[in-house]
Amino acid sequence: MSSTIGLEPVLGRSDEMIVNMGPQHPATHGVLRVVIGLEGERITRAVPHIGYLHRNHEKIEESRTYFQVVPFTDRMDYVSGTQNELPVVLAVEDLAGIEVPERAKMIRTMFFELFRIASHLVWMGTAMLDLGAITPFLYTFWDREIILGIVERTAGARMLPNYYTFGGVRRDLHPHFFKDVAEFLDHLEKRMPDYEHLVLENPIVHARTVGVGVLSKERAVARGVSGPVLRASGVAYDVRKAFPYDAYPEVEFEIPTSDAGDTYARFWVRFQEIYQSVKILRQLLEKTPKTGPFKGRAPARLKISGERYRAVENSRGELGVYVVGDGGDKPYRIKHRGAAFSNLQVIPDLFIGAKFSDAIAILSSLDPVFGEIDR
Amino acid sequence: MSLIPIPEDRRFKIKLIGYDPGRSRPWLERFVYSLYVVAFWLFVIATYAGVPALFDWLGWDGGWGYVVMRALQVVMLFLLSAVIALMLILALRKYLGKVQERYGPMHYGPAGGIQTVFDALKLLGKEDFVPAAADWLTFRLAPAVTFVSSFAIFAVVPFASGWTLADSNVGLIYLIAVSTLSAYGVLLGGASSGNKWALIGALRAGAQMVSYEVPLALVFLSVAVWSGSMSLGKIVDAQLGVWNVIPLFIPFVLYVISSLAELKHIPFDFPEAESELIAGYNVEYSGMSFAFFFLAEFVELFLLPALIVVFFFGGWHGPLFGLEPGTLAAGALQSLYFSVKTAVWVWIFLWIRATLPRYRDDQLMEFAWKAMIPLALLGLVLAAYMRLIWR
Amino acid sequence: MSLLNEVWQAVKAIGTGMATVHKRVYEEAPTEFYPYVELDLPPVSVQSLALVENEDGTERCIVCLQCERACPSQVISIERHRNPEGKGFLIDRFDIDLVNCMYCSACVEACPVSSIVTIQDFELSTYDLHTLKADIDFLHEQARRSKKWYSPKLGVEIRTEDGRIEKAPPEMQPGGLAELLKPAAEEEES
Ligand code: SF4
Ligand code: SF4
Repeated sequence: MSSTIGLEPVLGRSDEMIVNMGPQHPATHGVLRVVIGLEGERITRAVPHIGYLHRNHEKIEESRTYFQVVPFTDRMDYVSGTQNELPVVLAVEDLAGIEVPERAKMIRTMFFELFRIASHLVWMGTAMLDLGAITPFLYTFWDREIILGIVERTAGARMLPNYYTFGGVRRDLHPHFFKDVAEFLDHLEKRMPDYEHLVLENPIVHARTVGVGVLSKERAVARGVSGPVLRASGVAYDVRKAFPYDAYPEVEFEIPTSDAGDTYARFWVRFQEIYQSVKILRQLLEKTPKTGPFKGRAPARLKISGERYRAVENSRGELGVYVVGDGGDKPYRIKHRGAAFSNLQVIPDLFIGAKFSDAIAILSSLDPVFGEIDR
Repeated sequence: MSLIPIPEDRRFKIKLIGYDPGRSRPWLERFVYSLYVVAFWLFVIATYAGVPALFDWLGWDGGWGYVVMRALQVVMLFLLSAVIALMLILALRKYLGKVQERYGPMHYGPAGGIQTVFDALKLLGKEDFVPAAADWLTFRLAPAVTFVSSFAIFAVVPFASGWTLADSNVGLIYLIAVSTLSAYGVLLGGASSGNKWALIGALRAGAQMVSYEVPLALVFLSVAVWSGSMSLGKIVDAQLGVWNVIPLFIPFVLYVISSLAELKHIPFDFPEAESELIAGYNVEYSGMSFAFFFLAEFVELFLLPALIVVFFFGGWHGPLFGLEPGTLAAGALQSLYFSVKTAVWVWIFLWIRATLPRYRDDQLMEFAWKAMIPLALLGLVLAAYMRLIWR
Repeated sequence: MSLLNEVWQAVKAIGTGMATVHKRVYEEAPTEFYPYVELDLPPVSVQSLALVENEDGTERCIVCLQCERACPSQVISIERHRNPEGKGFLIDRFDIDLVNCMYCSACVEACPVSSIVTIQDFELSTYDLHTLKADIDFLHEQARRSKKWYSPKLGVEIRTEDGRIEKAPPEMQPGGLAELLKPAAEEEES
């Protein structure tokens, strides 16, 4: 039985209750299953189970050509759309030596940051839903809707646009794109104080999150977490700065970090990242030429040999891909390194000893997306 | 050939309904919702003035006639509580809709006005399922206990001067006894469901109850000390000059907080915490048993704000424009004042529900034992002191 | 005193939160009344696929199998035979399994003659998945129903009232093409 449950009842411990949190549970953001040993409200043991959304991405992608791989990657982290395509695109561009025009890089970066805002808005809504407040959820989803609308006008789809391609992007920007984004940023800047009032400044949120689920710096590094979770533990690691890609070397932004490492710090870091994304987008709106090439020359059939690891900083952390080409037009091996998957490794560390309600808050602060975790 | 051809009329068929909820018709909305208010008001008048007048006219006002009259009033109140539940559910959904920048129910009846009636019918039509692991008798009994204990509060609530079922001189003690019972319903229902989430919910309800009941009782005591009576009618009478909220400010704040806890309302809804315990104690209930939990919740959502009004906001008091107290017209006007004040408090509760996230259960217990009880004692001492000085 | 201050801060924060929420009561809900009001989707929006015929009812598709090769989901299956009377090929079978299609529009990009296009009809939802196994009639029907469609090579095309197929006016075209056609408009925009 231990293979399916993951937790054996301890003989002689009649005061421990073993409950299955998930896979159908409102707060597990999809299909996580955590088997939890409860002693009253306190969690004594926790074993996470994943794989309920497994779709065999890596194997499927190995039997597709490089061009066909890109739309599949969209389906991993489905709340941050185009962000997933970038590692594969970058790795293949490196291997095939495809030149990317400056303007295409900027367009990519703008979409990347738009989706970061969209993803963090979704996180904000669902985290507050987990904490019991229904209203911010609807507010953030309305604002995200604007982003999706902007993306749809250019890329043709809202959540899974398949927009990046080798050598640039597939389509030029919609003529109103710059105006739309500028309007949206103004709108968001008006909304952000509301979100601060409802989330960060709320005393009940303070009570629920401050000092809850503290992840120490050493533990975070040892578990291989990345993204806002790592930065909330005081490690200023950001792929955008450490291994810059696309147009990031040309824009100025900061990496918000916090030393607290608790749930509140993770909330706070995500909020600051939204502000930084707004800053990046404003700079790019200035810098990006209105017209120009959006796509470099890429061969119609890619034959690649060699191997390459490329990573990007998506909304959840370091999203990497390891591509091995054997000279054919299909990858010999593709391995995705998911940020949400690695971030989930800290569940036993953070859950054990916490209250059951805290577990919900901690889980929402990790912001898992199961499309990417189960892949 | 297509495997199955697309039927030509399937697209946009729904447009044929010809009803456009997008067209704003605020007057219609207001009219539909005011129908509920009028129905509520008529029910109150009929219960407290109509039924006694009828029995007076029939000459059955002594002995068994009195018993029958009271029984009829209770039946009327049951219908009234159904009206209240329908009204409040609609109000909750519409208000949350407004706040959340959406429309809420739109399709059944004008402006969604009879959506809740259909919801009730749907619940009636559902299978009332008892899980195999449940304890049958307790599982069945629990919704009844919950509903009856909420409903029994009606007995002492004065809608206007003299408009109450039993103006008992131990009204406050009765209230404490009855409202505590509702936690038993939750406890029994959760523990007998044979479901771990329900069990946790029930345990949380028990833990929550022992923490908020103590300050609640102390608040009742301060009100009784200040007003010099335990009868709710007398408590309202005593507020003719100045409403209790001014002298009894600390107990008032504590009472609002503990009402939220008693209602299992949003900052303190641990027993059902839908994002933690799925639905907590009522996760296994379906059909009518679930409807009774629901009904109890919304009857309490009316009654606890009503008690706030009775204790702290002068109950039915308001300008009578020269009407003789005790007449039908004065009673109707007074019950209107009372209902309006209650409605304001219900709105505040809904507003809180729309804004705040959930506290943690041990934090409520800590808060109750470490902050609320000392404050309640302070309030009690102050009330006694003020009474010595000013009355 | 610090305790009182803390309590005051908490009360103030809750009050601000409640005021924030209440502010929205007076704002118009951005709800779209979809079944009652038709949605105005951008012409590049990928909602479904269609196979366009020429105005005279002949097949635009030259059965080059590019779309079949490009499809990542491998849901397009085409069978063809040589045209006995001329050059080129004729279609025997052209099926798209729209259930497993992921609307990535890779096929549309691959098509050399803009025969397979994306349309904005998203009302194919059904209780029976078999209805979504689209064959060539289904795909032609989809194209006949739609007023406008998009393909990267020809941009947005519209079907006029009298059944002719025309290139849409520049203001309907997505980015890039609009700029190509009307460089002056872009300057006014910015
Ligand atoms: S849209 Fe994509 S998945 Fe669908 S048929 Fe075309 S290429 Fe295949
Ligand atoms: S790519 Fe275009 S022309 Fe070629 S077979 Fe497909 S639809 Fe026909």
